[in-house]
Amino acid sequence: MAEEDVVISLRISSRRSQLPIFISLLVVAATILYPLYFVIITSLRTNADYLQNPFGLPGEWTFENYLRLVDSYGIGQAFLNSLFVGTISVSIVLVLASLAGYALAKLPVPGTKFITATFVSVMLIPGPVLIIPIYLMLARFDLVSTYAGLILVYVATGLPFATFFLTLSFRGIPDEVIEAARIDGAGFFRIMWSIIVPMGSSGLATLAVLQFLGAWNELIFAFILITDDSMRLLTPQLASIGERFLTDQPLVSAGLFITASIPLILLAFASKYIMQGLQVGVSR
Amino acid sequence: MTTASLTSSVGAASAAPTGEAHAPRKPGGTRRRDRIVGLLAVLPALIMVVGFMAFPVAFAVFISFTRTNGLTYDWRWFDNYIALLNDPIVHQVFINNLKFLVSVPLVIFTALIVSVLLFERVRGWKYFRVIFFLPNVLSVAVIGIMFRSAFGYYGGVNQALGLFGIEPIQFFTNGTTAIAIIILALVWSGFGYQSLLLLAGLTSINPAVFEAAAIDGAGWWKRLWYITLPNIRRVLGFVFIINVLYTFTSLFGFVFVMTAGGPGFETTTIDYLVYLRAFSSTNLGSGAALAVILFLFIGILTLIQNKVFKLGEED
Repeated sequence: MAEEDVVISLRISSRRSQLPIFISLLVVAATILYPLYFVIITSLRTNADYLQNPFGLPGEWTFENYLRLVDSYGIGQAFLNSLFVGTISVSIVLVLASLAGYALAKLPVPGTKFITATFVSVMLIPGPVLIIPIYLMLARFDLVSTYAGLILVYVATGLPFATFFLTLSFRGIPDEVIEAARIDGAGFFRIMWSIIVPMGSSGLATLAVLQFLGAWNELIFAFILITDDSMRLLTPQLASIGERFLTDQPLVSAGLFITASIPLILLAFASKYIMQGLQVGVSR
Repeated sequence: MTTASLTSSVGAASAAPTGEAHAPRKPGGTRRRDRIVGLLAVLPALIMVVGFMAFPVAFAVFISFTRTNGLTYDWRWFDNYIALLNDPIVHQVFINNLKFLVSVPLVIFTALIVSVLLFERVRGWKYFRVIFFLPNVLSVAVIGIMFRSAFGYYGGVNQALGLFGIEPIQFFTNGTTAIAIIILALVWSGFGYQSLLLLAGLTSINPAVFEAAAIDGAGWWKRLWYITLPNIRRVLGFVFIINVLYTFTSLFGFVFVMTAGGPGFETTTIDYLVYLRAFSSTNLGSGAALAVILFLFIGILTLIQNKVFKLGEED
């Protein structure tokens, strides 16, 4: 790639001077990785063991903290609830944003400018502004403390970026391909399904990962809108555990790791997509 | 639909699969159909966004002019706004937000150093990039509780201090240290993403500039100061603004899980106060008015950003 050529010509610093840079980066990386390592190790020991020797390896490895969280504090249920809400809202966002993105990228939609401006400007609305009116609106429709209400909020807040992002990535699909399919008699949904989705799959995957992370990590609306204990999502559940068990670091650490696990797995396996999404975030 | 109108296309002449001569686009037929289909495709997303984002803002403005418990609305003009402007808690909270601005230069400085280091493209820089990005995939709940635990009475930091014979410190009973720890959490979780933003800016500098400077004998530090920084001032400005915006709109999560705004109101930020007013007071109008003030403030900052940096015209 062209990028590689650039890399070589930019490498003005000699091999020798690269070592201090490498070491500096290593130090910075340690400030991120060490706290996570500490959380994971702490979660695998007993509280007594932690208080005695917090920095060494556990005297006795145990999954007791995880089992306690699942058995007594409903973390397992909360995990599944978060998975459910995240999956449903991402699916809805993907469908609606694909339709809108394809139309805005490739079809002569009347008022395109106005519609795009709407999507872009609502992205600037700060979350706190929405709390009160959305709560009152959902209360009016009897949707407080239902997943439907929460999913509605996640879809609405996810859509502006999703539509914007897919409009950009679908623009890259050549008009010729779409035109050829039309000549063969393919209708809107046929083109959507057999051309736009496969050719825009990388953009769709990026968006799916980003939106899922957004829903999984969200705290405010999950806390405010779901009041029923058995329906709680993971982040509010973690917040209440973190508040109640200040004296039991290993238990809290286990909760932290459970909540962080899915995002970490996604980062490990889909970092390519996450980084691609980042680029668009920049150009915005 | 007639086949004749289906073959109409613009800019696809070379790839038109039919060997026939290309007719200019016809205005009626497909095009009109396309407009309707396109509008129908955009509509569901547009309705969701207008209904659950644009409308709520208008609704918030309405609520802010009323005294309400959510059931009955009593129109009060600017009463809520006047009460807020005279409220000592609001003043204190606004000053708290200004204190959190200390995080802005800290984050940018850290991000700048890291981006310059990454820019040298040493072996494994791509892995470092992913590691630095890691906090961005974590929930504020995770990051907040992690820092709260680490600096708690039994947390890692106090355990470490204990090794040196220092008594445990209650970081969260003092407003200043509590704010310092939230700022630390902000820097920890924010610098990676922003260093990648800055790295993108660095990468867009023409390499010839560096080569020329190197040939002229400019050292590493000189190149940094005279070439690198001036060339990324736009991105720096952008990063500066998003950090300021972030300080005013997105601290809720950290404050919520780390201090709940305490002790007293010493770590309460405007966005957290909106939440407090909304769910622990009898008048939602007050919370809505505060939210509207916040919104206006953010709007003005964004306008300034667009005027000053004209990001759309970059590159």
